[in-house]
Amino acid sequence: MFLIKCPYCGEREQSEFSCGGEAHIVRPKNPPDLTDDEWADYLFMRKNIKGVQFERWNHSNGCRRWFNIARNTATDEILKIYNMGERPPKIEGNDLKTPSGEPEIGSGNISTSFKKE
Amino acid sequence: MLDRENTIQELHNGFIKEYSGIMFKELAFVKKINLRGDPNDKKFLSTNEGALQSTLPTKPNTLTYNNNIKTIWLGPNEWLIADYDNNNINDLFLKLQDINNNEESSITDVTENRTIIRISGGKLFKLLSKFLVLDIDKALYNESSVAQTLFIKVSILIVRNHKDNELPEVDIYVNRSQANYIYKLLVDGTKNLDF
Repeated sequence: MFLIKCPYCGEREQSEFSCGGEAHIVRPKNPPDLTDDEWADYLFMRKNIKGVQFERWNHSNGCRRWFNIARNTATDEILKIYNMGERPPKIEGNDLKTPSGEPEIGSGNISTSFKKE
Repeated sequence: MLDRENTIQELHNGFIKEYSGIMFKELAFVKKINLRGDPNDKKFLSTNEGALQSTLPTKPNTLTYNNNIKTIWLGPNEWLIADYDNNNINDLFLKLQDINNNEESSITDVTENRTIIRISGGKLFKLLSKFLVLDIDKALYNESSVAQTLFIKVSILIVRNHKDNELPEVDIYVNRSQANYIYKLLVDGTKNLDF
């Protein structure tokens, strides 16, 4: 569970939202020209990154608007929220220091584990 | 007019029930209109606001109020118009239909979609906070506040009715099929409000 800041409604609990999967997947211009493998690749294959991933989210139990999120899938830290149609932002310096992104010492605030610029 | 029944049997014919100081009433047949359009379109705003005789709220989670007609923000390009008097709503609907008879905006009668459970009482916010994932005190802080959120697993819209110095009162807009479920949970929640 984590909090998401909806661009319209403000900070709300994750259960109010639904995830629409990976963002920035472009529909092929001429689907009839594709092979079955290429079409399956477009439809089903996703990166499933451990680290920073760009995702589409919908505030389904609120204002019902779509927006994009850059989220660290290991720590659930939300690094950037931006509108649909915008290009993915550059996010640097968010590599995992530990195997699953857990704090290096103890179980305190994860933000102490990362040095942000 | 069709002979219709209330959704919550215990509150039929406008009955008011009281449990542990919390009052429940169902407003089953309040007329509701869904309006969609571009808030940056000046013509859309001015014509619709002229028909409603109130402004369309563009600030998230707020409402405007005029002559018992509430215009509620649902999204950046979507509003819910609820007429609590049911007086001139048919004329208003026709007027809005004329104005929005184009491809850029739309108008839909959604009266039958949701019912309204009106709840009031001193410990109302304490009761609601048992079920909501939302910080209700913060969300309904202002007199013109509304909030769309989850009640257990049910999508609801909460509209604040009271002024700062009045007894708390809210309207919960909920799908008819789920109204009884929510009502029973709320009644159950009133049992141990003193703890």
